[in-house]
Amino acid sequence: MSRDRSVQPEPIAANLTPMIDVTFLLIIFFVVVSQIVEVENADLDLPRPVDAASELPDDQPRIVINVLRGAGGDSIGYRMSNQRYMADTAGLEALAHSLAAMYRKNPALAVNLRADRRTDYRWVEPVFQAVSAAARLSGRDDVKGRVNLVVVKEH
Amino acid sequence: MRSGRRPRRGARIGLNLTSMIDIVFLLLVYFMAATEFKSLEEIYRLDLPERGSAADPFELPRDPLRVTVTTVGPDEYVLRLSGPETAGPRPTTFQELFVFLDGRRRSDRAAGGVFEADHPIIVAPTGRTSWEHAMGVFNAAVRARYTNITFTAP
Repeated sequence: MSRDRSVQPEPIAANLTPMIDVTFLLIIFFVVVSQIVEVENADLDLPRPVDAASELPDDQPRIVINVLRGAGGDSIGYRMSNQRYMADTAGLEALAHSLAAMYRKNPALAVNLRADRRTDYRWVEPVFQAVSAAARLSGRDDVKGRVNLVVVKEH
Repeated sequence: MRSGRRPRRGARIGLNLTSMIDIVFLLLVYFMAATEFKSLEEIYRLDLPERGSAADPFELPRDPLRVTVTTVGPDEYVLRLSGPETAGPRPTTFQELFVFLDGRRRSDRAAGGVFEADHPIIVAPTGRTSWEHAMGVFNAAVRARYTNITFTAP
């Protein structure tokens, strides 16, 4: 009889499968994203120009060069593709040679230059020289030596 | 036909997911707290001058406008302009520099422009100038829609 059956109700249970699916997806997202950001971009306080006329980066191939910050306005070296280079002539030469090898593989490569806002210009300018030298060293005429100066846009 | 039998009542085998969910949520909270989302980064394009390329023999030499910027304090800087058409009141801030450059750019809508949009502008920070102040000058020139802007060695 139906009345008798209603006395013993079915146990109520929530189906947790979709929640666990979504939660695992979120965990995987956070794990992957945090690693990518760490590898490519050093922790730097980038310049924030007032009324910046900067533009959003396009999706063309690029490599990031970080000017690592030292004490005061000094730099402790450069980082490109998780490789450290000293801030001296030998380090910059090594940087130019690594970049030239990349230019040979991909002449359309752009260089994203990230430098801390407090770093002195004397540590940033050698990167321009190194990029020009790399374009020359690559031995290809179609390498343009383009640099993208990275800033933070305030909205 | 699904088996016509009614589900058997009584002891059912179930997996207790509570402890797993506890740990999964703990991980989720940890990663959410530890992740620092980057602020929106944007770029300025800078084409480095091509060394060794032959100059156009028919192009008239143009006297570049040179903007020197020196950092004198954490947020203080000094601007110095040299080159053509720099007589009169000199800009002292990046905003004034933008107004100065924008007012002198030749365009259809404004009279009194003396520089073409591709007039060479040289940003000349000193060795001790902070990168922020060097970018301030560069931004002023880009904002004023000049297209031929270069950095020089300190």
